[in-house]
Amino acid sequence: MSRNWKIERRTFLRGAGALLPLPFLNLMEANARSGDLRSSDPPTRFMTLFKPNGVHPPSWNINGGKENDFRMSPLMQPFAKHKEDLLILDNMGDFGFSSHSNSTRRFLCGHHQNSRSASVDQLIAEHVQGDAPHRSLELTTEGLFVNQIGCSYISYDKNGGMMPRDSDPQLIFDKLFRNPLSDPGKRAEMTSLLDRVSSDAKALERKAGVEDGDTLDEYFTALRETELKLEKMGPLDQGLESSKFDRLVRPLAPSNMDEQVNAMLDVIAMALWTDSTRCISYMLGNSNSRMIFDFLGIKKQHHYLSHFFRNFSRENIDSLLKISLWHMEKFDYLLNKLKSYKDHNGRLLDHCVVLYGSGMGHSDNHTAQRLPVVLAGQGGGKLKTGRYLRYSKNQELGRLHLSLLELFGVEQESYANAKQPLPGLNGGKFDEFSERPFESWVKVNSDTMTVQGRLRMSDNLDEAKVFYIDVAGRDSIRMEIGFGDFHSRNVAYHVGTPIKLTGKTVEKDGSTILNKITGLESLFGRSNPGKAGG
Amino acid sequence: MRTILCIFFLPACLLGGVFEDQVVPILERSCLKCHGGEKTKGKVDFSGILTELDAGDHLDLWETVVEVVELGEMPPEDENPLSPDEKKGIRGWHEEFLKLPVETAIPVFRPRRLSANEYRNTLRSLFGFDLEVGIARAEQTESGDKSLILKILPPDPPGKSGFFNDTHSTPLSSSLLENYTYLAGISLDRLFSIQGKDSLARMTGQNEDWNGEITPDLAKKIVRSFLPRIFRRSVKEERIKLVFEQLEGKKGKALVAGLKFEFKAALISPEFLYRGFLAKQDENKNRQPVDPFELAERLSYFLWEDMPDEELFESAGDGSLLEKGEVGRQIERMLTDSRARNLSESFGVQLLGLSSIDDQIKNNPIHLHALRTQPRDFLHYLFTEDRPIMELLDSNVTFVNQSTSGFYGNDRKRLAPFHKPRGIERQRTMNQRLEIKEAEGRGGILTMPSILSMNHGPILRGTWVLRTILGVRLGEPPGDVPPIKPPLRGKKMTFRERFEAHRENVTCARCHEKIDPIGFALDGYDKNGRYLLASYHNRGNQPPIDTSGKLPSGEEFKDFEGLKRILTTTKREQVIRNLTKQILSYALGRKLGRGDQGVVDKITVKATLENSSWKELLIEVANSASFREIVFK
Repeated sequence: MSRNWKIERRTFLRGAGALLPLPFLNLMEANARSGDLRSSDPPTRFMTLFKPNGVHPPSWNINGGKENDFRMSPLMQPFAKHKEDLLILDNMGDFGFSSHSNSTRRFLCGHHQNSRSASVDQLIAEHVQGDAPHRSLELTTEGLFVNQIGCSYISYDKNGGMMPRDSDPQLIFDKLFRNPLSDPGKRAEMTSLLDRVSSDAKALERKAGVEDGDTLDEYFTALRETELKLEKMGPLDQGLESSKFDRLVRPLAPSNMDEQVNAMLDVIAMALWTDSTRCISYMLGNSNSRMIFDFLGIKKQHHYLSHFFRNFSRENIDSLLKISLWHMEKFDYLLNKLKSYKDHNGRLLDHCVVLYGSGMGHSDNHTAQRLPVVLAGQGGGKLKTGRYLRYSKNQELGRLHLSLLELFGVEQESYANAKQPLPGLNGGKFDEFSERPFESWVKVNSDTMTVQGRLRMSDNLDEAKVFYIDVAGRDSIRMEIGFGDFHSRNVAYHVGTPIKLTGKTVEKDGSTILNKITGLESLFGRSNPGKAGG
Repeated sequence: MRTILCIFFLPACLLGGVFEDQVVPILERSCLKCHGGEKTKGKVDFSGILTELDAGDHLDLWETVVEVVELGEMPPEDENPLSPDEKKGIRGWHEEFLKLPVETAIPVFRPRRLSANEYRNTLRSLFGFDLEVGIARAEQTESGDKSLILKILPPDPPGKSGFFNDTHSTPLSSSLLENYTYLAGISLDRLFSIQGKDSLARMTGQNEDWNGEITPDLAKKIVRSFLPRIFRRSVKEERIKLVFEQLEGKKGKALVAGLKFEFKAALISPEFLYRGFLAKQDENKNRQPVDPFELAERLSYFLWEDMPDEELFESAGDGSLLEKGEVGRQIERMLTDSRARNLSESFGVQLLGLSSIDDQIKNNPIHLHALRTQPRDFLHYLFTEDRPIMELLDSNVTFVNQSTSGFYGNDRKRLAPFHKPRGIERQRTMNQRLEIKEAEGRGGILTMPSILSMNHGPILRGTWVLRTILGVRLGEPPGDVPPIKPPLRGKKMTFRERFEAHRENVTCARCHEKIDPIGFALDGYDKNGRYLLASYHNRGNQPPIDTSGKLPSGEEFKDFEGLKRILTTTKREQVIRNLTKQILSYALGRKLGRGDQGVVDKITVKATLENSSWKELLIEVANSASFREIVFK
């Protein structure tokens, strides 16, 4: 068994790529020596990447695809090259709307009301830590949004309390790899430094008066205490070779957010690769982030732009999509990193489960439906990737979490509201979405119209507020409604599904358009608009 | 003059005066059983106080003694009470004692560790860059302090002086030393990395096309420039040579590693971490003027909370800093520097306790920002623009932004319009300077919305004014304080009337006769600082608000404006004395002793008579004996 662990140095270096010409780390050998048979499998790591402010659904959603036959959507293009390593989930979510705060809680807690238990990453962390020195890392890019504090946290402890987050890649790097007291090489350096300082200070002592002497005493006491601490840590290392993390490259101080996030993703990959921790959650921003992406040339706040219906302009939509694409590029960056590291006999990504997404769908209406959720990595062979799973019905995120718990060996009967794990992740059967036949028609009565057909958002970015209802055998009905109708009827929820809609019409540019909804029914789903906060 | 005082004062101590004859016997009979020798209840110990000279080291203690004896709280009930004559004896001695002229005596100097703020600023000045926490900033989010140093170093507790720069009682610990080592290490790593190239070039005068290579010659240049700045004074040639020896023969990476090692050792040495270790001692004298480098350092940490700059170093190096008037000139210059902001941000905030504004508003960072910055900007204006001291209480200038402009009636129409670009949902706005012309009930620090909303209700407001502005020591409320009585059934009593009832109790009256008149004078402002008595404000049939009062010293006033006039005229000396004490204590980074009283007296009298400005007050403090002289043991 232990043979598996001994990887040729050259193989290793090839895996790490030119970025990190590292000596082989003996981590896995150490595991094998422990004699525990199970530990001869490389550990599976869990990593979450949270995207703030929901999505622009027409750009995100895959329409009409099948499990093994689908085309990635425009927003997915940045990570399309990883298709074989991805499991794209669709129809995840809840009915209704969701505040930013609730949608944040939903992401890793399965349901916004699941506020008394740990988030799924923490349950996994507890279980998989093993020999890894750090139980988990909770990371973010920005500060706390104190008005609605829940917007700032995705990871929660076993009592449902918020887990403090860190944001500085250099600090995390130092915490993991440059702790002067845990590394023999650093200890040696520190010891000679203290020797030097101590002999310099002795010269000072000869000159010091009584009062100065007291202060110097205090200083010498601190020096001695530190020396004792170092001695207790064990022998010093003479050579640099054995300082195993010495050649990991500390990220530079970031000068903008892009650099900050890249640096953090570098550190994340290093942390997982060196088995420093097996569980990391990382927020690309607070759920309602008002960050200004000036490095993308955008001067407006992200949250403002994300309300693309209310604040519609072509320029705003372009800006919003630029930001979303940047989020997707970061996912791509992470996957590239995880692939570049050799782990065991494969790539690090093979032994990871990466969960990417958000707890919010439509970013203006805050629907909790068709959430962006993508899994990446094979999870040590337990995930069958390269597929698109569109479930026939809305699946609560809690079901996904229950499956993840199962995958990581955490035994639990239920999680959040879910009693059954989400089927299909390992290649097993699942109830795939299929179109049910329905009739489509239009009835016009002076200035009102009733129409039955499939609702869709316009694909044309110049008319991001416009909806169409497709009716067989004729031009689609164009609908230009105000925000009141859009929101109170939860129109976004019905997008992509057949509905029966009654409304008022007007003539515009020679054609009839719907501009006011008086009735809306879903043919196969729920018709009432749901509640805000749900 | 000082010699005369000295002659006058010393024999009185030697002969044994009122204290030795009257007070000491009472202490021995009635106090020592619990407060001295074996027991020191309440940490009060009289056993070492045998003479009036000893008593002078415990000024606060005697205020408490007089207070508890007067009230009959001590000796406790089960002991023999003091006779009225004995009580009178103690009080009489204390009153006379406080009037005694004191020789200006400076306590023996003790080096003190740089406070966290001082350490942060010093490192920034040394390296030319800030160590910041990598965190994206967005409107309405709280990211804590930007500074990595403040994130890593434990916050300083206030010292005995009440100021954070008084670090005498928070010793260096092993973990703190590790933090210093870590911070020195990452600063040096950055200085010698691609990101530090500009700083390094500036430090050594390299021109733009320098390729970043560190040659042995350049290394020597770096040592010569950097080491004196680390130690904040010129460094002996032998010390420099020692460092050169360590670098001898090294090249390339080994040379850089050697430089880093040398500087790291210097940056965790006591001479860097503490202030004053290197103060020069003239061997024949105990009390002597501070050497010019020590003076430069005292000035820069006082006004800037930072190390001296090039100009101060030069002035210290050639000794010109000691010339008459030079300190004043330097202060004038220093106040125009951006670092002078730290005087209001640090001293000002601590003086007025402004950090408690942060506790009032938990979830509105934009409004909090407005309330935080208003008094700070105001103080900065007073300190740096040569404004009279009393404008702290009475000024027609204020600083407002969008969040606070609503408090300033029609005056706000004269503000430049606030412009919020499209796509920005929330944003903080800068304060603008505003001249108060029409706004009712505004002007001076006491009527600032942030100060008013920091202290709710008349009792907290009154207490704050007494302690912070007038420097009155109130002591803690007694343990058995009776609750404020609810109004009698069927009888409507205002809050004010209920407190009047409360004051009928003598124990309560002791403090409340001082607190209440001032507090109720501010009752015209609600908890958010809104002025309820403004003429445009329709109060319907709510009961009228009575803001008149009478101070224990007899002055009467009709309303808050009347009180303000009293504070700025008859109480002016008291206010100035308090502020002088606070500034001097901050400047010295220590609690004042009886020996500093002469300095305080002199500055107070001069500033009161001349209606001095803040700048003049700062200069007086920096020219005082307490600041410019040092005593070695």
